[in-house]
Amino acid sequence: MPGSMHDRIIRIDLTNRKVSEQPVDEELGSYLGGMGYGTKILVDEVPPGVDPLAPENLLVLTVGPLTGTMAPMHPQSCVVTKSPLSGTILNSYAGGFLGAEIKFAGIDGLVLAGRASEWVLLLVEDGRVSFHSAEAVMGLATGETEAYMKRLFGPDVRTLSIGRAGEKAVAMASVFSETRVFGRGGAGAVLGSKRVKGIAVRGTRGLEVARPEEFAALVRENMELIRKACAEEYNLVGMFSRVGTGAGMGLVNGRGGLATRNHEYGTFAGAAEIDGFAYAKNFYTRPIACFGCPVHCGMLHTFRRHDGSDSWLRGPEYETMYSLGSDVLNGDPVALAEANQVCEEYGMDTLTAGVAVAWALEMAEEGLLREPGLALSFGDREAILGLLHKMGEREGIGDLLAEGPKRAAERLAAQAGAGVLGRAMQIKNSGFAAWMPRRMKGTGLAFATSNRGACHKRAPIGAEITGQIDMGSTEGKAVLVKEIQDRVNAIFTLISCRFHEFVTPVEVYPRLVAAATGRCVSPAEFLRLGERIWNLERLFNLGAGLGRADDGLPERCYEPIKGESSEGAVFGREEFESMLDEYYEVRGWDREGVPTEAKLRELGLASYRGLAGR
Amino acid sequence: MGACSLVKTGRVSLRESRIRILRRWPQTPRFEVCRFDDCPGLSDNPGLSDNPIQPCIGACPVEAIANRGGIVLIDRETCTACGACVGACPFGAILQDEEGLAWKCDFCGGTPACVPECVTAALTVREA
Repeated sequence: MPGSMHDRIIRIDLTNRKVSEQPVDEELGSYLGGMGYGTKILVDEVPPGVDPLAPENLLVLTVGPLTGTMAPMHPQSCVVTKSPLSGTILNSYAGGFLGAEIKFAGIDGLVLAGRASEWVLLLVEDGRVSFHSAEAVMGLATGETEAYMKRLFGPDVRTLSIGRAGEKAVAMASVFSETRVFGRGGAGAVLGSKRVKGIAVRGTRGLEVARPEEFAALVRENMELIRKACAEEYNLVGMFSRVGTGAGMGLVNGRGGLATRNHEYGTFAGAAEIDGFAYAKNFYTRPIACFGCPVHCGMLHTFRRHDGSDSWLRGPEYETMYSLGSDVLNGDPVALAEANQVCEEYGMDTLTAGVAVAWALEMAEEGLLREPGLALSFGDREAILGLLHKMGEREGIGDLLAEGPKRAAERLAAQAGAGVLGRAMQIKNSGFAAWMPRRMKGTGLAFATSNRGACHKRAPIGAEITGQIDMGSTEGKAVLVKEIQDRVNAIFTLISCRFHEFVTPVEVYPRLVAAATGRCVSPAEFLRLGERIWNLERLFNLGAGLGRADDGLPERCYEPIKGESSEGAVFGREEFESMLDEYYEVRGWDREGVPTEAKLRELGLASYRGLAGR
Repeated sequence: MGACSLVKTGRVSLRESRIRILRRWPQTPRFEVCRFDDCPGLSDNPGLSDNPIQPCIGACPVEAIANRGGIVLIDRETCTACGACVGACPFGAILQDEEGLAWKCDFCGGTPACVPECVTAALTVREA
């Protein structure tokens, strides 16, 4: 029976330049695709203690059952690997057109293993893989590398690439794909460790679904929902559609939850200069959609740089408006766009890079860090751009920051005392996304317990910031956070855009899967799959040496937020710890955060018990 | 493109779409699709100067292409796979299949499948 999955994964052994095909068996198939496939393959094959930059680590690039179909908001592809930033298992996503192209190439994903002897570009054409020299593009920016591949292989290929940061094993190096980014967790450094500078994919095959009429009806119904949301004035997805993801900054600022000056303050006086509406008014050129998406939240902005040259950028996105804007006291929208461009050029996650910069600026203002040639102070354009350049090059102080905020702070703490650690706004070395745990306590718990560190994709952000639930309360949040984590893990097996779930009832997903693949999963089983993956990730992380101590917040979260509208919001230490206890209990884990045998049996993971190593 | 290929081939297959979009950031994307009666006619077409026709029609040596009530169609039975129409089309709207036979948008008989899918209304049907 035809279905939207090909049950075929290509494995590339870079060390020996060998390509093989892995059929998807029933067990792997039950993980549906996307993050499910990636997690299962990684956990089964990579020992948790492995050095993330060693050839033994794998990088798994997958798509899901709805990728490349007419189901709206399913353009993304997923990377799973062990993160060199957090030392945890990592899943990271990028939109654009690469996902659909992989599907049209007749495969469900790629597994990269080993390390090439020379830097390579890979061309994947309808499932055939060829190796090409990357010599001509070494040291080049992500955009230049992708333009080169399109010249070399033809303009119709879809591409991903790393920049200099990935080449130099900068811990927060990202993988770029035609301005969309596998941002978090340092997958770019893993690709670099394998000496893969870029991948081009060409898929010329079509894609069929198992039950075309049923699928078309579901797609029509879902499309109606999304279009309706897009037309509503106060619908978040509608605002993203019109203004981009920066639409909500005013609301966050008004509620005292906009992390400012390395999370010291909850309001930023310059917010109105750098939010989505300011960009829309001054720089908006056109929207850019991902494959088949009616929302088109990507906004293309054209602007004049400070050196007088004309330039353009897809973005900045909301999270970047915080990390390279409010958090570093940068109220200059052009400087913010330039900083975003530096991250794009080097191929770095704007979030963790910005958090590292914010920490460095605070340390410098306290006289604990300095860098020759740079006057390091908050809001200084030269300082912000200079630090990002140095991180991308691993030069001077940048070499320290390139290790991630936690490791950088640990090194400084050796001379400056442990106090500097509590100023690094990270969890598991992954920089805070744009939300303040003290202000939004459920989101704080979600940050702390995330399997990839300070993750905003599986947090009750919308409900808390819009006031649907009391953001300052901890009551019921443990249950809520667990539910969101499991639900988002489940939809990430399909690689639904995170925003898709804002408008789509969760029951719809199993119906879409059944119509697309013929595989029947009940809504309860679907959510259970999300929980199973969450626990599998947890076992891997425990095996990698992480534990309860890594599920904690930095010291600053136990001090009141400054600034108007924040009302001195603070986390009590005991308040947080009891919330964490409650969360572990809800999860069926012991007090150290280890899944109990009963829980693992319930999830069909009994055979993985040894993975945790305890 | 997805809707087009789905209607025409029963599967989502961008390379079999009758409309193609080329991104040229930061400029507007270029659409490669037939403009039908909006396509500039050949005013110096011998014998037909009062009756402007699309360049592909004039280019076809075997009269396989015709404008039928505003919709330019290719008769693939007559087509000899010479490719003359491909070069003549100012919009890059005509493609050749593996055997060289020409194919293009046929306006879905009057209600194009792509138009309702376009949320920004970049695609419209204009009454003749």
